[in-house]
Amino acid sequence: MAAEKALALVVRTVDWSETSRIATLWTRELGKVRVLAKGGRRLKSNFESALDLLTVCRIVLLRKSSGGLDLLTEAQVAQRFPQLRRDLPALYAGYYIAELLADSTEDYDPHPALFDEAVAALTALGTTGVSTPLRLARFELVWLRELGYQPELRQCVVCAAEVEEKDGLVFRADAGGIVCTTCQKKTRRGQDDFLSPKGLAALRELSENPEAWRRDLEDKVRVELRQVLNRYVTYLRGKPAKLLPYLRS
Amino acid sequence: MGTEGLGAIERLTRELTRLPGIGPKSAERITHYLLAHRGQAETLAEALFAVKERVKPCRECFNLTEGELCHICSDPRRDRSQICVVELPRDLAALERAGNYRGVYHVLQGRIAPLENIGPENLTFGPLLERIRRGGVEEVIMATNPTLEGDGTALYLSNLLAGTGVRITRLARGLPSGSVLEFANAQMLADAIEGRRGF
Repeated sequence: MAAEKALALVVRTVDWSETSRIATLWTRELGKVRVLAKGGRRLKSNFESALDLLTVCRIVLLRKSSGGLDLLTEAQVAQRFPQLRRDLPALYAGYYIAELLADSTEDYDPHPALFDEAVAALTALGTTGVSTPLRLARFELVWLRELGYQPELRQCVVCAAEVEEKDGLVFRADAGGIVCTTCQKKTRRGQDDFLSPKGLAALRELSENPEAWRRDLEDKVRVELRQVLNRYVTYLRGKPAKLLPYLRS
Repeated sequence: MGTEGLGAIERLTRELTRLPGIGPKSAERITHYLLAHRGQAETLAEALFAVKERVKPCRECFNLTEGELCHICSDPRRDRSQICVVELPRDLAALERAGNYRGVYHVLQGRIAPLENIGPENLTFGPLLERIRRGGVEEVIMATNPTLEGDGTALYLSNLLAGTGVRITRLARGLPSGSVLEFANAQMLADAIEGRRGF
């Protein structure tokens, strides 16, 4: 059993006994791992206070070959996001990021780009001038891309024709993208959400440009984006996220 | 698996293993100890039954009590202008052990943890607001745990109390008395620097 080192984001913790804790960690090198931290609830332990939710820490773990929980032997805080403790919408957005990482990814399936995006999003959320809904939307679009569910925003998902930013378009969650006006008439309605030209333009930009979340959007467009992403993420997960009622557009 | 159909000894052992901190070996040892000391078994059974039947949340602060009001709320010497808000009764007990707080408490009965399906509606924010609206409260001390969820709960409460005119404070954090800087972790030192005060 060789020790492995990784950079990890704490996405869930459960108290296990009087002194131990089970944690779900989303690591850059190994993907999602579930570990037992013996003594993890003690003030004086090898884990300091690194096992608090949404803390980035450097960890050492012993991987269990039998399929049980891995054993965490060390954890040191690498980064915290103190601004989340002063901004409720940003804090809830952070919890939502943890939920998407914890529940919708496989164990030992690393996605370094998604890890980096999660840390970047948590760093930005709650800081001055950052729109929480737009920063979160950018994270969701990276999450979708990394898991292979990138929404189709350039072509109609039915006829594959190029789609311009015009009135009358819909985003069909169960088809994974936009449906042109012609195909909407020909095909059975699915899980459709209206998408305005500005809404489509914003989604495309957020999906393709890593800095697009820094721009401001009209409230109406933000509401549209939230609806489309909520429905799509819910469809893919097969159930609504627990944090959905807490998210604002 | 349920305990129906098991013999009395197996049933007790099984029930004991469900308690925190008790594994199968300890459970077996306790079972045999109780079999050898039957009088003590009876006392224990009575104590367990009494806790189940009699202990309930205090009408005022949600601390555990056998009456309508807990011993703190019914103590006329306690300062009712200060309410210390804690997550659980055991946090209240820890603060009481410190011995230097003379105000009253409010137990939220948990913390906001949306990832565990615990929202504000599951906690006792409503009765706390009601206590404050009745008047006489000058300070609310946030004593939720210094975790992300504990701080989030305190933040939610401070938003809720904004505009009530009540002074909102929170427990200090940083270095424990009697410790040395060299062995303090980075977070303790960062908190201590941030929370420094006039000398």
